[in-house]
Amino acid sequence: MGEIVLEMKNIVKDFPGVRALDQVNFQARAGEVLALMGENGAGKSTLMKVLSGVWPYPTYEGDIYLRGELKRFYSTKDAEASGVAIIYQELNLIPELTVAENIFLDRQITNTLGVINWSKLFAETQRLLDELHIEDFRPTDKVRDLTVGKQQMVEIAKALSKKADVLVFDEPTSALTDKEVEALFEIIRKLKRQGVCMSYISHKMEELQQIADRVVVLRDGRTIGEVTPMAEITLDQLISRMVGRDVKDMFPKGKCQRGEKILEVRNFEIDNPALPGQKKIKNASFCAYQGEILGISGLMGSGRTELVSGIFGAPPGPARGEIYLNNQPVHFRSPRDAIKKGIGLVTEDRKRIGLILGQSIIQNMMISSLETVTNLMGVINEAKERSLGQNYVNQLAIKTPGLDVKIDTLSGGNQQKVILAKWLNTKPKVLILDEPTRGIDVGAKVEIYNLLNRLVEEGVTVIIISSELPEVMGISDRILVMCEGEIVAELTRNEATKELIMAYATGSRRKGG
Amino acid sequence: MATTAPNNETAQNFLQGEGMQTLLKFLKDNGTLVALVVLMLIFSFWDESFFTPRNLTNLARQTTIVGIIAVGMTLVIIINGIDLSVGSIVGLAAIVVTMLMQAGVNPWVAIMITLFLTGVLIGIWNGFWIAHYNIPPFIITLGMMTIARGVALTLSDGGSVPVTDPIFAEIGGGFLSITISMIVVLVILGFVFFSQFRELKQKQQYGVAVRRQDVITTTVVTLLAGGLTLYAFTYRGIPYPVVIFAIIAFVGTFVLQNTKFGRRIYAMGGNEEAARLSGINIYRMKIGIYCIITSLSALAGIILASRLNGASPNLGNMFELDAISAVIIGGTSFSGGVGTIIGTVIGAFIISVLNNGMSLLEVPTFYQLIIKGLIIILAVWFDVLSKKKHG
Repeated sequence: MGEIVLEMKNIVKDFPGVRALDQVNFQARAGEVLALMGENGAGKSTLMKVLSGVWPYPTYEGDIYLRGELKRFYSTKDAEASGVAIIYQELNLIPELTVAENIFLDRQITNTLGVINWSKLFAETQRLLDELHIEDFRPTDKVRDLTVGKQQMVEIAKALSKKADVLVFDEPTSALTDKEVEALFEIIRKLKRQGVCMSYISHKMEELQQIADRVVVLRDGRTIGEVTPMAEITLDQLISRMVGRDVKDMFPKGKCQRGEKILEVRNFEIDNPALPGQKKIKNASFCAYQGEILGISGLMGSGRTELVSGIFGAPPGPARGEIYLNNQPVHFRSPRDAIKKGIGLVTEDRKRIGLILGQSIIQNMMISSLETVTNLMGVINEAKERSLGQNYVNQLAIKTPGLDVKIDTLSGGNQQKVILAKWLNTKPKVLILDEPTRGIDVGAKVEIYNLLNRLVEEGVTVIIISSELPEVMGISDRILVMCEGEIVAELTRNEATKELIMAYATGSRRKGG
Repeated sequence: MATTAPNNETAQNFLQGEGMQTLLKFLKDNGTLVALVVLMLIFSFWDESFFTPRNLTNLARQTTIVGIIAVGMTLVIIINGIDLSVGSIVGLAAIVVTMLMQAGVNPWVAIMITLFLTGVLIGIWNGFWIAHYNIPPFIITLGMMTIARGVALTLSDGGSVPVTDPIFAEIGGGFLSITISMIVVLVILGFVFFSQFRELKQKQQYGVAVRRQDVITTTVVTLLAGGLTLYAFTYRGIPYPVVIFAIIAFVGTFVLQNTKFGRRIYAMGGNEEAARLSGINIYRMKIGIYCIITSLSALAGIILASRLNGASPNLGNMFELDAISAVIIGGTSFSGGVGTIIGTVIGAFIISVLNNGMSLLEVPTFYQLIIKGLIIILAVWFDVLSKKKHG
C-alpha cells in the first residue's frame, strides 16, 4: 500500500447555526481510491470544498497535510497548485470551445506575443489523451458534441494536465450510461497504478465495491468509525454507519384515519431531454389517500423532484402517464391547471423557484390565489388581502415586522411559512412538499410538522419528499422509496426502518427483495 | 460619548442627524424628482423663456408622445423584456391612420382600425414569438422595428401624407378650455389629497409606522406639482394629448398597483419560474403585455400625426431609445420586477425638459445627444449605488 498522501485532521466547519463538519479525520494513500459515503447533507461536499479551497483557509478549523506538509489553501488556485483537483457533478467545461482549449483553459500554449500556438496545443492535448488511452474523441472536437461521459474524461484530463495527484470525484457517474461508467473505471484503475490518490464520493454501493479500496463514512459532519478496507465491511455495516441508530422523537404524529383515494398516478414517465432514449422517471404508479401523509424518500438525483413536478404540470421533459383526481382522469398542461384542480407544490429550491425575492410578504403570499382577494374586474381589495394575510401570519406564527417587508429579510423558516400560507390560500386538496424543512431551524421544523398534521386532519392529502430519513419516517404514514427514476419500494410506517429505506434507495436491494 | 455630553448638545446633534437623515432619505427615494426640479430651476435661471406658461405647455405636450410609449415600456421592462419596435410602429400607425382618412374613412373608424392593425395585431405577433418560442424579445422586436418601418415606407411610397380633417387635427393640437382645465386640476389635487389621507388612515389601522416627514414631503410635492400645472395651463388650457397621457398614466399606475394583472407582472419580473409554478399563465401575460405596448405606440403615432397635421413614414425614429431612457431614468430596474409608472412619467419629463431647455439655450444637437447619453448612464449608476447600500 502506498504512502499517505492526504491527511485531514480535526476539520471543523461552521455555517450560521449549523456545524457542517465536526472533527473530521481521515488519511488517503497514493494509488488508492478512498470512498466517501454518507447521507445527503452528511457533509461530504463541504469536506471536499474545504480540501479544494472553495472554503478558504481561515473559514474552517483543522489542518490539511499533503505528503506530510501542512497546507493552507486561500483559494482554489492554491489547491490546484498543490495538486488537488475535483471533478464535480456539474461539469465546468465551456461547450463552445474545443477539448484542447478546455483542458488548457487558463494557460493556453502561446508564443511571446500571446498568440495561441494551435499545433502545439493540439499536440500536447493528444499526448495527454494518449496517456489516458482515450481514443473516443480528438483534441479538436467541440465539447458541446461530446456525451456527458466523455466530457467527464475531458475534466479528468484537465485535472491531470495540471499535475494533480489528489483527485476527488464527486458522484461522477450520476449522469453516465453503463458503458461510460466502465470506461471511467478503466481510467481510474490506470490512475491507481500511476500512484494517484483518489477520493470518490458516491451513493452507489455496486460501484464502490468495484472501484474503491477503502471507505470512510460521514454522518452529521462526523467521521463514523475508522477508514475501513472495502473488502472487510458488509453493506449492512456500511448502511448502519450511514444512518446511525438513534431516532429522536421530534415528530408529533396526529391520529388520523385513512380515507378515500384522492390522487392516483399510473405509469407515469418523463423523458430525459438531455439524453435521448433515457428516462428521468420510469413507469411510476402510486396512490395518495385523504387523511394520510405520504412520504417519498430516495437519494438526491433519484427522480423525486422530477416526479412531483411532473404531476404538478411542470415536468423537466416530455411526460406520459395517467393521473386521476377523485377517480376522474385529469391532464395538467401547466402548473396553473394543477392549481385550479386543487394541487399545490412547495418547491425544493426555495430561493430559485419558490420565492419572488425583492417583493413583499403579502405579494408572495397571494400570488397563487389572487382570485380570493379581487373583484370581478381583477381589482385587489386591499383590506381583504391584508386581513387574510394577517390571519396567516398569526395562524402560522410567522415572525415578521409587517406584511410589506421584503421576503428576503425573513429567516428560512419564516420564508417557508409564507410559502405554506401561499399554498394554503389556494385551498388545495393535495399539497406536495419537496424538502420543506431544508435549511430551517429545528423549532420551525416542528411547527411545520404540526401544521402538516393539522392539514391532514382537515382532509388535505399531504405528500412530502424528504432526504432526512428520521423526518420522512417520523411524519409519514406510508413511504415510497425511489432509486434511479423508479419507485422501488412502498413501505408502511411500521415496516420502514432506516436500513431498509437506505438499502432500497442505494439500489443494493431491489423491488420485491 | 453621547451619554457624557450636555443635554442640549445631544438634542442638537440628534436633530441635525435626524434632519440629515430625512433629507438623505428623501434624496434617495426621490432622486429623479429632485433631478427634474433641479434641471427646471437651472433652465429657468438660464433662460427666461423657459419658465413661461407657453413653454411649459409645449413641454408637456412634447412629453406625451414618448411618455405614452414609456408607460407601456415600463410594463415590458418590469417583466425583463424590451420592445425596440415602438418607434417604427409610431411611424407605421401615423401612415396607416392618415392614409385611411385620405381614402375617405371616418376619422374615428380610421383610428380604431389603426389601433387594431398596428397595435393589437403586431403586439400579438411579437408576443407570440417571444412567449411561444422563447426567442429573446430584443431579437423579435428588432426585426419588427425594421419590418414596421419598411411597411410604412412601402405604403406611403416614401412620401408624406397630409391630414385634411379638422376634427382629427384637434386630437393632437386642441386644448381643454382654461376654465375646465382649472376645475380638472383642482379636482385631481383634491382626489390626490383624499387618497393620501385614506392611505394614511389605512396604514395607521394596519399598524404601519408613518413618519411625519414623509407626510410633509408628499404634501409639499403634491402642492408644488399642482401649482406648476395651474400656472402652465394658464396659457391655453390643457392640451388634449396631455389629458390622454394623464389618463393612460393613471390607469397604468392603478393597474400595476391594484389589480391581479399588475401583481402578476411584478411577480413575473421578480422570478418568472416561481411565477409559473405559482400558476401564472406566462404565455398569455407576455402576449398581453406586448399588445399593450404596441397599442400605446400606435396611439402615440396617431396623436403625433394629428399634431403634425400629416404623417411621414420616418416619424418616431429613435423613439424606442427615448422611451427606454425614460423608464430607466424613472427607476425601473433592468433586471426586472421593480418599477413604477410615476417614475417613468418623471423620467419622460426629465428627457423632454433636457430637450426643450437645451434647444432654448441653443445647445447644438450633437452635444444634446452626448448629454442625454451621459444622463442615462448617471441614472443607472445611481440606481446601482442605491441598491448596493441596501445590501
